Amino acid sequence: MKALLTTSVGSFPKPEYLTRARTKASKGELSPEELRVLEEKATTEWIRFQEEIGIDVLVDGEQYRGDMATYFAENLEGTEISGLVRSYGNRYYKKPVIVDELRRRGPISVEWFRLAQGQTKKPVKGMITGPYTMMDWSFDEYYGSREEACLAFAKLLHEEAVALESAGAKVIQVDEPALSSRFDELPLLVKAVGTVTKGLEASTVLHTCYGNYNEIFEYFNKLPVDQLDLEMSNSGLDLLDRFKREPLKKEIAFGVVDVHTHVIEPESLIRERIEKALTIFAPSKLFIDPDCGLKTRSVEEAKAKLKNMTAATQSVRKSHGWT
Amino acid sequence: MVLTTVVGSYPRIGDNPGDQALRRAIGRLDRGEIAEEELRSVERETVKVVLREQNDAGIDLVTDGEISWYDSQSHIAGKLASVEINGLARYFDTNTYYRQPVVRGPVSRKGPLVVDEWKFAKANSRAPVKAVLTGPVTLAALSENKHYHTTKALAIDLATALGDEVEALVAAGASHVQIDEPILTRHPEHLSLVSETLERIRSRKKASSLTLFTFFGDVAKIYRDLADVPADVLGFDLVQGSATWPALVKHGSTKPVVLGLIDARNTKEEDPETIAKKVSDLRSSVDLKASYLAPSNGLEFLPRDRARRKLRILRAAADAVGVAG
Repeated sequence: MKALLTTSVGSFPKPEYLTRARTKASKGELSPEELRVLEEKATTEWIRFQEEIGIDVLVDGEQYRGDMATYFAENLEGTEISGLVRSYGNRYYKKPVIVDELRRRGPISVEWFRLAQGQTKKPVKGMITGPYTMMDWSFDEYYGSREEACLAFAKLLHEEAVALESAGAKVIQVDEPALSSRFDELPLLVKAVGTVTKGLEASTVLHTCYGNYNEIFEYFNKLPVDQLDLEMSNSGLDLLDRFKREPLKKEIAFGVVDVHTHVIEPESLIRERIEKALTIFAPSKLFIDPDCGLKTRSVEEAKAKLKNMTAATQSVRKSHGWT
Repeated sequence: MVLTTVVGSYPRIGDNPGDQALRRAIGRLDRGEIAEEELRSVERETVKVVLREQNDAGIDLVTDGEISWYDSQSHIAGKLASVEINGLARYFDTNTYYRQPVVRGPVSRKGPLVVDEWKFAKANSRAPVKAVLTGPVTLAALSENKHYHTTKALAIDLATALGDEVEALVAAGASHVQIDEPILTRHPEHLSLVSETLERIRSRKKASSLTLFTFFGDVAKIYRDLADVPADVLGFDLVQGSATWPALVKHGSTKPVVLGLIDARNTKEEDPETIAKKVSDLRSSVDLKASYLAPSNGLEFLPRDRARRKLRILRAAADAVGVAG
């Protein structure tokens, strides 16, 4: 039986040779072609690692991305990229600026999907930064309305989702980390994500993190996707009681390792978390993954977290006789 | 005419490698390559740059840019007794995160919060420097309270601690103190608690001018009651909080105001003449000579070069009010 499938949220850390190469490329000391070779190498290494430890639904690791919103924006017409702004601590990113009508030049992430999927028989997720997050994380000098900008992104990201599906994606994930920014805009988010996922045959996932889940809870079942991917371990698993009272009518990908700590959660702790999740969710609808993308961790930390996660999952499966 | 000020934070780094010393120093500290004291020295150099940019733009009342603040919550609450700092939480509707304070016992001031930073800024600015503190009600609401029975009880003790700090600031020579209570834009029902806590701060401020600033939204529903809070100046975000504007126009203000009309969360540039005209509409209902034009909130949500341009727009708009008024 299909039980407790393991997956990842999206990003993995870049190996040191790639980080160095990106710095060189940004100074013009390395050509885009040379950089691409290394990005492909890193992608291949991450696919191989996920296969080795037995992850069920793979990701390409986003080795070719800087920031998740900026990556999509710089591949669309009508945008510029701003200077650096701070996210938290010593982390900065370049924000997209909408300066003209948004247009899609062509496929954005499809080639990366093809490359990754070409190296494994297991499904690789097609990954899209969601329209609400694209809007919320961009400066807008053109539309003058959050709704208009959001729906303009949604239309173009739907085209990208269709292209990913045509390229063979069986799972398409829409990342909306900005989902819980403004409670009063949740209807807009539902509409925009619905525009992206409309008519897709692929299984659809919505990932979000670091929000006040209690305030957005009533929207969970309204989100137009098949699966919700939630950060659970960093919020102390507080949500479980609420899910007990108000069942989720979708699959859930349940974050069991915190991506913002250097601490490598031991297998036993992860097993406990999975068992807790199993008191609420059916094993066939419960996916196991990290809280969020692992890109802020070192390669070693990310690998150790993923290894413990898959080992813990396999041990829980075994103890329930689901292998 | 109208004066100019900023709300608090300023971008810590720019896009030229020369403007990124602070980012590099924090990285080196994290890797154990430099000592804490060296980072402090880079921070101080950055504060000087931030003050120079505000001074060069002709801003009348400046801040230190909150350069040494990790975030607006942990930098203040983290220095109080019985407070620990926990994981990251989203800061209102911004794409930024603060480290959440956890209150484990009675809070009190055990040492300086911002007074040393203020003294340094004061010594390095041509214009007067405003001291900024996150308000007790916002601090209480954004913390995890594991000790007090109510948020109110926590807010009141926080106000006492902040009052101690205000006293120290005033003793050091601060003439302008600003208390930020963005929580009022989300929870207007906290107004009476804001008043009660401000009263504890006001009693310590002597002759300095005390500003209450609200941002990240409007305070239209409580606008008329805000007139009675124990503060000398009221500051409003009139961009994201544009709904406050009609109330301001209709009722005016007996207290001087800070008009946050320059969008500090978007790069789109305002036309100074349009802003000036808007300000002039308040001529008969607000004492503009004692009031300020400002960005809608701290400028750190913009890249450094855009923040600089917003300061120029701010100055130009205030000058245009002068001509018009």
